[in-house]
Amino acid sequence: MSRVSINHVYKTYKGNVEAVRDVSFTCEDGEFLAILGPSGSGKSSILRMIAGLEEITKGEILFDGNVVNELTPSERNLALAFESYALYPLMSVYENIAFPLRAQGLGKGEVGKKVRFVAEELDLVDILKKKPSSLSGGHQQRVSLARALVREPNVTLLDEPISHMDQRVRAEMRARIRRLHDELNLTTIFVTHDQAEAVSLCDRLAVLNFGELQQIGTVDEIWNKPANRFVATFVGEPQMNFINGKIETPQEVSIPTKQGKMTFTYSGKVDQRYVGSEITIGVRPQQIPLSLSKKQEAAIAGSVELIEFQGENAILTVKLENLDNTEVMLLVPGERLGQVGESVWLGFSPEIIHLFDKEINISIETQ
Amino acid sequence: MAQVRLESVTKMYGKKKAVNNVSFDCKEGEFFSITGPAGAGKTTILKMLAGIEKVTSGTIYFDNRPVNELGPQERDVAMAFETYNLYPHFSVYENIAFPLRAPKREESLSPQEERDRVEEIADFLGITELLGRRPAQLSGGEKQRVSLARVMVRSPRVYLLDEPIAHLDARLKFSTQTALKRLSGQLGTTIIYVTHDYREALGLSDRVAVLRRGVIEQIGTPGDVYHTPSTDFVARFIGDPPTNLTDGEIVTRDGKTLFSAGDDFTIQIQEGLTEAAEKVARQEGDKRTVRLCIRSSHIKVSRDKVSDNSFQLPVYAIARSRQGPMCTFELKDSFLQANIEEGVHYDMSEKVWLDFDQDHILFFEKTIEISKR
Repeated sequence: MSRVSINHVYKTYKGNVEAVRDVSFTCEDGEFLAILGPSGSGKSSILRMIAGLEEITKGEILFDGNVVNELTPSERNLALAFESYALYPLMSVYENIAFPLRAQGLGKGEVGKKVRFVAEELDLVDILKKKPSSLSGGHQQRVSLARALVREPNVTLLDEPISHMDQRVRAEMRARIRRLHDELNLTTIFVTHDQAEAVSLCDRLAVLNFGELQQIGTVDEIWNKPANRFVATFVGEPQMNFINGKIETPQEVSIPTKQGKMTFTYSGKVDQRYVGSEITIGVRPQQIPLSLSKKQEAAIAGSVELIEFQGENAILTVKLENLDNTEVMLLVPGERLGQVGESVWLGFSPEIIHLFDKEINISIETQ
Repeated sequence: MAQVRLESVTKMYGKKKAVNNVSFDCKEGEFFSITGPAGAGKTTILKMLAGIEKVTSGTIYFDNRPVNELGPQERDVAMAFETYNLYPHFSVYENIAFPLRAPKREESLSPQEERDRVEEIADFLGITELLGRRPAQLSGGEKQRVSLARVMVRSPRVYLLDEPIAHLDARLKFSTQTALKRLSGQLGTTIIYVTHDYREALGLSDRVAVLRRGVIEQIGTPGDVYHTPSTDFVARFIGDPPTNLTDGEIVTRDGKTLFSAGDDFTIQIQEGLTEAAEKVARQEGDKRTVRLCIRSSHIKVSRDKVSDNSFQLPVYAIARSRQGPMCTFELKDSFLQANIEEGVHYDMSEKVWLDFDQDHILFFEKTIEISKR
């Protein structure tokens, strides 16, 4: 276990391609941290620099306060679990797991004890004598994970470990990985482009885009206080809806409609200088209450354009009766399947309203 | 527009039955999906409908007329494949316009009509800004949308779409699915749609056929296949997180019918449900075994005992799902997952109470293997 700090790290590739630009964050001891971003955001470069597989162009990486920039991957004592398992095909599961310990020169008794322990944790005891080729993909992956964890690594690095698995296995794998992390008190850094996986497993998320850190925070913070439109859009499915509006007072925002403007109060505070400015309002599809009549004062009318049933819930596309006729998406319980063309009311309560600067797209709310 | 009917259609490849005695009736203007895992025979059915593959036995009807002997051209279908096959030397615009210029077409369009048509479709699928580009300048997701546009620009009797949005990333898939749903509503043309992704099938379709190893397991509305699956296979295939399947035995004690999957996990089956359980129970030695199915959203987890029928299990792990936070429990040969309230924390290995909503329990015969992976 270790605390991992990334301190003003840059990575520049040949031809002056800046893959990572001035990124700083810390993964605390025992934490489960996700590095989340689209392809090309620099997340894999960061992972590879932590692992020691890639030179750091500028800045420092520290384990427990000690700079590890110059250490080789093996000196860093990391567990790397990539998607491909790379097990030794001629060795049994036991020998595969024991291999790194033997390489360290550990005695037979010690090796046996450690292999048993990790095999029990990972539910591999029954298959220790088998060869990798006779195992299912899930088992192979767990053996690979066991081989990585048996060395009691400082940090466990997971690179997209489940995003390509069959959807039906994923829910179980999430539970398994989370259980391992908690039970073995691991420090885990999980790299993924899949926001749903990141949100499902991790304590905190570091969201990257274009090589820069956009925001780091708990799932709750990222969800409720996105720092900018990129974070707001990238985390959450369906993505956040955006509507044009104008700041009327430090507590009120308006949306223009054919019948004049409608005003809504919001729960955060906005700097006085934004009063009178055109801004962007963000509302999450999961948080908008829907009703057939006007149930609350802060509500806007619209009509259902489309219904997509998803089982547990359904996605409605609703055309608002504002000046832009903005189309917004709503996630509603699956039982509530209305009619296309139906008139509905969408509640815009203060706590679900997010506000963004129209030009630079940053959140303009303060608490 | 056409009504499409399959009557006992079978397709053999050598000795292998790829499609086994499949019958369905797709109404005029219907959006009909065929879903199932890889190798289920979905694409084979579509190819037989297109006239690219011959049927081994059985009959395909378009508007009640057999089309078995008709070639692809004569059937007047438009088919989109998973692979794109765009003309590399044409621009995106020309690629999409190509089917409109085909010499065999009865109606020929004026240049303005052609442009309107192409632009309308491009706008729908969000590729307007790509119209001037060449295929080589496109990403995989963009190519797939162009290829879909090239199919949707036509006005055939039937559209046959094979995984047309499979290669889009999650976000783009979402918006393209919405666009496709809207487009289908506007066109009103019969669409037969093949996908391995149950969410596409549920979201887009009027009706869904679930296929397994060449055989149809169930045909129904999206609501039917989700809420009242006909087999354990359908139940497991539709929905995320996957529904819980737990094997246990039926025990009669003091005139009560119990389901038991181990000492800790025993519940009384309410009266209306015993018949359903008895019907699918199988004698195995001295036990009567049955498979219980319940979705994670129909299990209540709490620190307090909710009812006489609650039972206790230790928490295996807490992770989230699309439906919010989720608690996993480890059983003898499977995992059990239940939604929990936002913000409530349970410790690993803490014993908590579970209560099943009996109105949403289903019992099945075992037709698929479940195991912890």
